[in-house]
Amino acid sequence: MFDMIGSIFKNLGSKPATRMYPFEKREPFKNIRGQISGIDINQCIFCGICSRKCPSDALAVNKAEKSWEIDQYKCIICGLCIEACPKKCIIMDDQYKTAAYEKEKSKFIQQSAPQAEKPKQE
Amino acid sequence: MIENAFDISKELLQIEAQDSKIKGYRFVTATCVDLGNGTFDVLYHFDKNLELKNYRVNVKKEEELTSISNIYFSAILVENEMKELFGLNITNIAIDYGGHMLLSDDDLNSPMAKQQIVIEERKGDK
Amino acid sequence: MGKTVIPFGPQHPVLPEPVHLKLVMEDEVIVEAIPAIGYVHRGLEKLTETKEFTQNVYIVERICGICSVMHAQAYCQGIENLMNIQVPDRARYLRVIWAELHRIHSHLLWLGLLADAFGFESLFMQIWRNREKVMDIMEETAGGRVIISVNTVGGTRRDMTPEALRKVIAVSEEIKEDMMKLEKVFMADYTVKHRLVGVGVLDKNTAYEFGAVGPMARGSGISQDFRTTGYAAYGELDFEPVIEKDGDCYARTLVRLREIYQSVDLINQAIGKIPEGEISVPVKGFPNGEVISRVEQPRGEVLYYLKGNGTKNLDRLRVRTPTFANIPTLLKMLPGSQLADVPVLILTIDPCISCTER
Repeated sequence: MFDMIGSIFKNLGSKPATRMYPFEKREPFKNIRGQISGIDINQCIFCGICSRKCPSDALAVNKAEKSWEIDQYKCIICGLCIEACPKKCIIMDDQYKTAAYEKEKSKFIQQSAPQAEKPKQE
Repeated sequence: MIENAFDISKELLQIEAQDSKIKGYRFVTATCVDLGNGTFDVLYHFDKNLELKNYRVNVKKEEELTSISNIYFSAILVENEMKELFGLNITNIAIDYGGHMLLSDDDLNSPMAKQQIVIEERKGDK
Repeated sequence: MGKTVIPFGPQHPVLPEPVHLKLVMEDEVIVEAIPAIGYVHRGLEKLTETKEFTQNVYIVERICGICSVMHAQAYCQGIENLMNIQVPDRARYLRVIWAELHRIHSHLLWLGLLADAFGFESLFMQIWRNREKVMDIMEETAGGRVIISVNTVGGTRRDMTPEALRKVIAVSEEIKEDMMKLEKVFMADYTVKHRLVGVGVLDKNTAYEFGAVGPMARGSGISQDFRTTGYAAYGELDFEPVIEKDGDCYARTLVRLREIYQSVDLINQAIGKIPEGEISVPVKGFPNGEVISRVEQPRGEVLYYLKGNGTKNLDRLRVRTPTFANIPTLLKMLPGSQLADVPVLILTIDPCISCTER
């Protein structure tokens, strides 16, 4: 019956094990899989390997339109697309995706002029 | 490819199951494979000292297959599952859910079987 | 005496996942129990037929949220058998390390839930606090907390640096120390013993006859641990299955407690022996033929039946998860026990319903 007492007194004197989460965030670990936040669209060659490898069909690559689209709510963040990408231009973010009111897709379109990426909501 | 796999007829299944039980085998599970030509392969896996022994029974779609749950009670769940998901006609299961263990009333019958999917697509075209 | 039917679940404070039991009662004693599952059936077996065999790894990982790495391991080992792929030695050891970390986290989760089931909230919190260390080390080494996606056909996807390996040892030793302190509470506390000793006794023969697997079988004195067959790198490590003879809830708790120490020991051994080298080999061709692959999960052995047809898709993938095999034993244990013991009894089979239904 008194086996727990030691732990209880130790806890009374020590700092809390939890964090005040939204105000105090832990430094994310290196190389963790947070979310696929986007693509460096100017490097993309629209080969479509990533969309064929994707287990959850979250990616859509259109060569004619020069667009790359991700449905982050379908994405299971396995990281296969990043491994498969010949140009290594897909970006893995170390922050988790937060909850949202609506599901949306992010679409990136390559245009002739560089630096023209435009997230579009659907 | 599977080691220790024996093809047996469905009449022999009961006898072999009884025999396995006497010899001290543990019932692991059963696997149903739709061969796509109207027949199913049902594999019964037994285990003794971590060595598997498999019996392969080939049944036609309409044929009855007698349950082994009176010999191995632990076969109830898997036999009910095969009955529901593949439409196998397994009779005499110790606890028979009558097709409602996993599926509800308005679900498609035997969703894992190969033919059913085609029929569902035709329904969609109408 | 009249019989009453009491529905237990699908929603119940003690159940993390939905399972329904119809309990036929005479007074406070159960005379019959009929389970009803099907609340979380997702048709994953069918889904795998439409995906490529390399993509299936990520589907089978999602069968279970607790033992995901072992599911992927079983699947990969099956496909590797089918295609005669020789996995590099380092990958086999890494698989063992991650699998054992997963076993620790699963058993800690279960011990916490058990403490919660008999109302010992502070013990529950203490154990889950320890579990958080495993989750963190998993996130650091593999990039995910639970579904770590490290296995792939032909090896592993990530390597561990020497610093990471040292940290794994340090953290697992820390967990061992913490659990040594909390172990006394499980083993000697009056209330805990009162709720567990002699409840739901399953003798050796009945357990074997009903096909019990994992800690259920080992708690009843059956020496059955699939790791002893030496898949992955287990053949080169030294261990004995943990066995308790009593077959009651207390014995099953002790089995899981001691398996945590065993896992810590296995991790230490594996890290001591891990060779340098490649972590994966490229995969060419498509699987053809049938294979059965088995792996020991925290809850017991899992069986994968894989049938390839020479194309990128599999013909059939069948999973028999450990809970599926343990539900018949639960039905055997329930008749004759008190209604108040039902939550603890259900919990001692370590039910994982999404595993069961897939």
